[in-house]
Amino acid sequence: MLQTFASSISSLLDSRADGHSLPAGLYIRDDVFEADLDVFFRKHWICIGLDCDVPEPGDATVVDIGNSSLIILRDDDNQIRVVHNVCRHRGARILDAGSTVISKLVCPYHQWTYELDGTLAHAPHMGIDFDKSCKSLRPVNFKSIGGLIYACLSDNPPEDIDRLEQVMTERLAPYDIRNAKVAHQTDVIENGNWKLTMENNRECYHCSANHPELCVSFVDLDFGFDPEALSPEDLEEARQHEALYAERTRSWEADGFPSAAVEQLVDCATNFRTQRLIIAGAGESQTPDATAACSKLLGSMTRKDLGDTHLWGHNSWNHFMGDHAVVSIVIPLSAGKTLVRTKWLVHKDAIEGVDYDLQKLTDVWIATTDQDSELVGRAHAGALDPAYLPGPYSRFSETTLDKFATWYIDRMRANGY
Amino acid sequence: MDTNAMQTSLAPQRAEFWDSERDDTLVCLDVHQETHDVKSFTFASPAGKHFAFQAGQYFLFDFAMGAETESRCYSISSSPQRTNAFTVTVKRVANGKVSNWLHDNMAVGTTVKAQGPLGHFVRPSTARKFLLLSGGSGITPVMSILRDCGDTCRPTDIVFMHAARTPRDLIFREELSNLAVRMKTVRLHFLPEVVTGEPSWSGLTGRISAEFMKLAVPDIAGRTVMCCGPAPFMAAARTIAGDLGVPSSSYIEESFDAAVIDENEIAAPEVPIGKVYQVEFSKQARKIEVADEQTILSCAKKAGVRIPSSCANGVCGTCKSKLVSGSVDMKHNGGIRQREIDAGLFLPCCSKPLSDLVIER
Repeated sequence: MLQTFASSISSLLDSRADGHSLPAGLYIRDDVFEADLDVFFRKHWICIGLDCDVPEPGDATVVDIGNSSLIILRDDDNQIRVVHNVCRHRGARILDAGSTVISKLVCPYHQWTYELDGTLAHAPHMGIDFDKSCKSLRPVNFKSIGGLIYACLSDNPPEDIDRLEQVMTERLAPYDIRNAKVAHQTDVIENGNWKLTMENNRECYHCSANHPELCVSFVDLDFGFDPEALSPEDLEEARQHEALYAERTRSWEADGFPSAAVEQLVDCATNFRTQRLIIAGAGESQTPDATAACSKLLGSMTRKDLGDTHLWGHNSWNHFMGDHAVVSIVIPLSAGKTLVRTKWLVHKDAIEGVDYDLQKLTDVWIATTDQDSELVGRAHAGALDPAYLPGPYSRFSETTLDKFATWYIDRMRANGY
Repeated sequence: MDTNAMQTSLAPQRAEFWDSERDDTLVCLDVHQETHDVKSFTFASPAGKHFAFQAGQYFLFDFAMGAETESRCYSISSSPQRTNAFTVTVKRVANGKVSNWLHDNMAVGTTVKAQGPLGHFVRPSTARKFLLLSGGSGITPVMSILRDCGDTCRPTDIVFMHAARTPRDLIFREELSNLAVRMKTVRLHFLPEVVTGEPSWSGLTGRISAEFMKLAVPDIAGRTVMCCGPAPFMAAARTIAGDLGVPSSSYIEESFDAAVIDENEIAAPEVPIGKVYQVEFSKQARKIEVADEQTILSCAKKAGVRIPSSCANGVCGTCKSKLVSGSVDMKHNGGIRQREIDAGLFLPCCSKPLSDLVIER
């Protein structure tokens, strides 16, 4: 009997071996890239930005994802709105990339003018009988979860965002990210597939050799280690650290700060993990000396010893600390190019040069992001090489990568590939 | 008044009325000097016919001036309640062919050809409150309206505002003062531009403006405005009334080709419009003049200055520009944010200059 496939990608999905990285085609093929955009960036919830990207009424910012362009704005009632950046006249882009201040949304082509709620207010030369009521800008499904804006471009967004919402609303409340400000932002374009970007972020196997700055405050062993690979001294330290985790998590939670790991990484649509991590060294913040970079703490935080609330999504990673937060979102540009947009957040009233030093605030993750970019480029170049063969993930330090690859295959199949 | 010319026909058995289809000859009954350069001419029908007209209408005269005939429209200034004769009031205009001929030649007993009454500059039957606004010799039709209201003893709420060049140019000055005393619901405002010839003038001087109108006629928005005067005066009045909330449905002006305006009164308006400012567009190295009642965008477009625009009423923000120096009176409809205004931006489409301007365009 002739075997038929759901798509040209099906056989690639079938050929993925458990415990191993993906077949090269899934990283490098253009048809897979298009399928990835369709499945993971249109049919799943993705993090696209922050409430505080648009702090004041009339602020707007544009986020492009594949052929979609989304406008995030704050209207005159202080509500966040997300609409498609497509004029209802003949489809022209209304706003350019980046951030701007608007009084109304005006298409540059023929000056169709929309109120900030998306309703069409002015359409010159369309006749007095022209019905503007059904020509609003098309809204986008979105949720602001603790000040992080998650959007879904499909009409049937996955319902299991509920768990993320429930868990993170509570965990992020003290940081009041809605009332933070973006102190700094970088866009780094990595020469690699978005999945390599995500995989790289989900393991710290590479940290000790590649991220000297990060390792001052970040404990690489938190994400798994092979006890056989450690010296007796290091192993003893690791064991003590594990014991410390149990104790620290207990005391944080007793103080009202949820800390235990929550994972939704397989058998789900919405992929996330969160945990309150211990910060090494001075223990306050991911800075060159692990002390707080900003004297004005986020939100209602009064303590610098509440560690690092980390949050993964399938296109984002975040670290929320007492004094600041670092949030990154990932947007695929092509099979071999990926945008990593990183923002450093502080309390909205914190003043640069007074309450915080920008260099101290940004040094660690600027260095880390550049290092990761180099590593992802290195991995992608190898995936392009005909000599590439999927390799085994470490069962100690890369278990979450195996889960990510498994989830990826499952979601592709679930969406007809 | 010399009545000899009319002695045979001044006592008709019953009132017969002038019919423009059949009648075309008038005879001058009286000439009266109103001001140093304005005369009133009163005409009757040689057949003793009466005239039925509405206050605000005019007659079209054909004056035989030597070999040629010149046609002119003149508004009736007299009350329609006096039916046996009507009066037109004419200002002598420098180089004005007809007005000079009238002033120099029209005398009691002179006959002229005319058609009328004509025109639609009349009180709407439903209106109850009026602003009768006139400039210079544009006073004639609104004078007829005021006299009509006085003669019929129907109390009508009227603000009568008359603008002229100097106090000595105020036509019907004494009569208006008397009428304003007799008619309890009439308020009179004279506005000479300057006090030349009468330095003791105790009232305000200057040109009509939104500020003046707000003080003199605070309830203008609820009045039917009837305006007559030189074209620039009417243009300024129309803008002011619109800005102060008079709906266009309540704004009536005597049309251009009627009556009042003699040839050179247009070219030399006796009530010039407001102040004119220099507006510079720095990137295009252009400088234009914009009057304080005009929007910057409309003048820029006429002058060929490039500014992108669409809605022209402050909604879309397409014309948003940086105001480098100067100040404007902007009435936008949501097309610009306060913080943009604070940052020095403005919308030329709905802004009028308050000073000389430099615009980054």
